[in-house]
Amino acid sequence: MTAAQWGGAGAIFLASAVEWVEAFTIVLAVALTIGWRRAAAAAAAGLAVVALLIAVTGVGIEAAQADIGLIRAAIGIFLLLFGLRWYVKAIRRYSGRTALHDEAREFAATREQLQQAEGRAAWIVAFKGVLLEGLEVWLLVVALGHTLSYAAAAGSAAASLGLVVAAGLALRAPLTRVPENTLKYLVACAILSFGSFWAIGGLAGEQAVWPLGNVTLLLLFATYAVAGRIIASRSRAPGSAAAGVRA
Amino acid sequence: MKKLLQLIFGDLRNVASVAVALLAAYGVSRLAPAAAGAALALLLIAAAVVQAI
Repeated sequence: MTAAQWGGAGAIFLASAVEWVEAFTIVLAVALTIGWRRAAAAAAAGLAVVALLIAVTGVGIEAAQADIGLIRAAIGIFLLLFGLRWYVKAIRRYSGRTALHDEAREFAATREQLQQAEGRAAWIVAFKGVLLEGLEVWLLVVALGHTLSYAAAAGSAAASLGLVVAAGLALRAPLTRVPENTLKYLVACAILSFGSFWAIGGLAGEQAVWPLGNVTLLLLFATYAVAGRIIASRSRAPGSAAAGVRA
Repeated sequence: MKKLLQLIFGDLRNVASVAVALLAAYGVSRLAPAAAGAALALLLIAAAVVQAI
């Protein structure tokens, strides 16, 4: 595999792991309320929908790989939209302008919500949680899938799911130890790098725009990573000295 | 559906930021192709500054 393919697989793996951690937290809270069997069934139903989406869209993408430049531009734009959103969110968390995403708080909130609900509602909470987080994984697989192969991209997302589930079951507690904002920030930088590379490369000619080739991806990543931390430190909200410690 | 669209595209400011950065970078690529990538990265970072503060 080339450096770009490893980068794509790594980005999918890490970004998927972030989403799976969130989904697992919700399922865990539901499981402690309605039992593991029903919670796992709801999670499996949500995953089945995501797997179906990945399979169906994969066939479409394989069939439409006629103009790779155009596809790269379209996917690059899509990645920029997705990546910029994550990038800004992570910067705001580092700077204390947005609360750090707290899995423990999400876990407690989900349990509180469930205490007022019956079994069916709890099932829906788990299903919806897995489906929504899974949709983000699906978007990543579709966007980055063509860099390596669609099957490898889907496999990367599935591998991260297996890892998160195994780690979650081993810990048997909300996954608060995962430094989520750091992970999201690095993934956002990677997505922005790929998005920039493909969007303008696809529109204006990759060789003309990026004379250094794939090495540029590393330079872009470093630029976005350093710039984001500078922005976060310069825009730190008053009274948020502790922000970012846990991240 | 609205949630899905927001998931994909973000809010209007996010879409506008990416559109402006890409159009400007494309304009730069007509004059100096090798500078277009750097222009895009700088414009996206500037957009992040505006959105983050």
